[in-house]
Amino acid sequence: MTKIFLKRLRLKDKLLALIVPILVLGAWQYAVTQKLCSELILIPPLTLLNTLLELAQSGDLTLNILASLKRVLIGFLLGGTSGFVIGILMALSPVLNRVFGPVIKALQQVPEFAWMPLIIMFLGIDEFAKFFFVAIGAFYPMVFNTYQGVSGVPEKYHELARVFDYKNFRYLTKVIIPSALPSIITGIRLSLGLSWMFVVGAELFGSDSGVGYLMTWGRAVFQIDLVMAGLILVGAIGFIMNIILEIAEKRFFLWREPVDGRPA
Amino acid sequence: MKNKNISKKAKAILGTIACPIALIALWQLVILGEFPSARFLPSPCKVFNTFVTLFSGPTYLQHIAVSLQRVMIGFFIGALTGFLFGLLIGLSKTAEKIFAPFFHAVRQIPMIGWIPLIIMLFGMNELPRVLIIAVAAFYPVTLNTFSGVRNVPREYLELASVYGFKGLKLIRKIIIPAALPSITTGISLGLAMSWSILMVAEIFIQTAFGVGTQIQRGRDRFDIALVVAGIITVGVLGYAMTLLVQKIVQAVERGQVITTDKI
Repeated sequence: MTKIFLKRLRLKDKLLALIVPILVLGAWQYAVTQKLCSELILIPPLTLLNTLLELAQSGDLTLNILASLKRVLIGFLLGGTSGFVIGILMALSPVLNRVFGPVIKALQQVPEFAWMPLIIMFLGIDEFAKFFFVAIGAFYPMVFNTYQGVSGVPEKYHELARVFDYKNFRYLTKVIIPSALPSIITGIRLSLGLSWMFVVGAELFGSDSGVGYLMTWGRAVFQIDLVMAGLILVGAIGFIMNIILEIAEKRFFLWREPVDGRPA
Repeated sequence: MKNKNISKKAKAILGTIACPIALIALWQLVILGEFPSARFLPSPCKVFNTFVTLFSGPTYLQHIAVSLQRVMIGFFIGALTGFLFGLLIGLSKTAEKIFAPFFHAVRQIPMIGWIPLIIMLFGMNELPRVLIIAVAAFYPVTLNTFSGVRNVPREYLELASVYGFKGLKLIRKIIIPAALPSITTGISLGLAMSWSILMVAEIFIQTAFGVGTQIQRGRDRFDIALVVAGIITVGVLGYAMTLLVQKIVQAVERGQVITTDKI
């Protein structure tokens, strides 16, 4: 989807695409000049731009973005890796599938945010609790997509591997993982997208840094420009992460269409 | 032969319940071991007892009813607007060019990100809760309706023009039935998202009633048994809802096959 909107747009289409944003901005500016609403809530669009620039100049922006990105990365690595390993194990061993499958499916029924109070009670609100929460979000798409990919490895490949006498590690790296890779990549993209969503959620619950913190702080001091700036940042960073993954996917997997991995 | 089948089935069931039983046994062992780090952990019995007390009074059922009602209202608003919007940008290429880029840009923002802003704008009341749930349902329903409408096979449209179907009749008789599988996928995804966001809405935007509120209250009072009971309730209800939607979708699709045969 993204690439369609970035590349295939002709000039006329670009102009059409600008209609709604311009209308929104215009209505916003109009509401500000007519003082339709309290100034505390209805800030001029320019103030928002200024706030973003100020944040960038003071260095707060990079500091908070880096804090969030670090959490995403560690949480994603924790949850993604365990999902990957468990997914492979479940797909290769029917016994493990029967043991883990129902439990994971049952746990998946619980909305991730319902775990938050429990996590806070046991782990507090320090860094590890945030990693753990992000890891929960990253885990599910990874485990299901890896499982799907590995159980979809054609029987012929297994037979060939037996003929060549590939075992254990070699079997895994030469046959299973390459064959399941498209599905695994889908898992990685979904999982990274969800990680980004959950890190913002974790930061809203209590933290002293990060983009989510920026927004909670803005709400606490009733500075709506800060909250909106945070909102734009969250969207932009998620978008950029998705584009980077899309480019990487296209470079490494020329034969397939990139998946749309953004969380809804 | 029959015996073999039975033992196979028994083995499968045994395998399925082995892990939950082992987990509960481990849980009980940790309690019996009286480890210092686990002194806050409630025993399985205590969680069960909490369930019994919760369900013996009317209050907990009321919490559940409020949550379900909240989800249904939000989901209905979001799914309906999403369906109409998806239909619009699916049918008209111009409408797509005007609205889709903005829609995709706004969609980049994770749902959670909206929470602080809508609290500031609307305060801590029912409106922002329902609104965020509606938004959660809106995205998947829009996207799936759009792709369903866009992927109606060309032959259907040609056939429709032969029969002189136009306007509303074309939409009702050809486009919606052909796009239905995609639309129903969007609806079940949307319901799952709504249910998931309900927790966010009830935990972040304080309220007196709701299952999420109960979980949050359990945390405030350091009543872990209540938190665990709440989590289990949410999981079971979400699962029941998914099953229900699956059944409805299957029924609708079966009905749809018959009607397309009639055409």
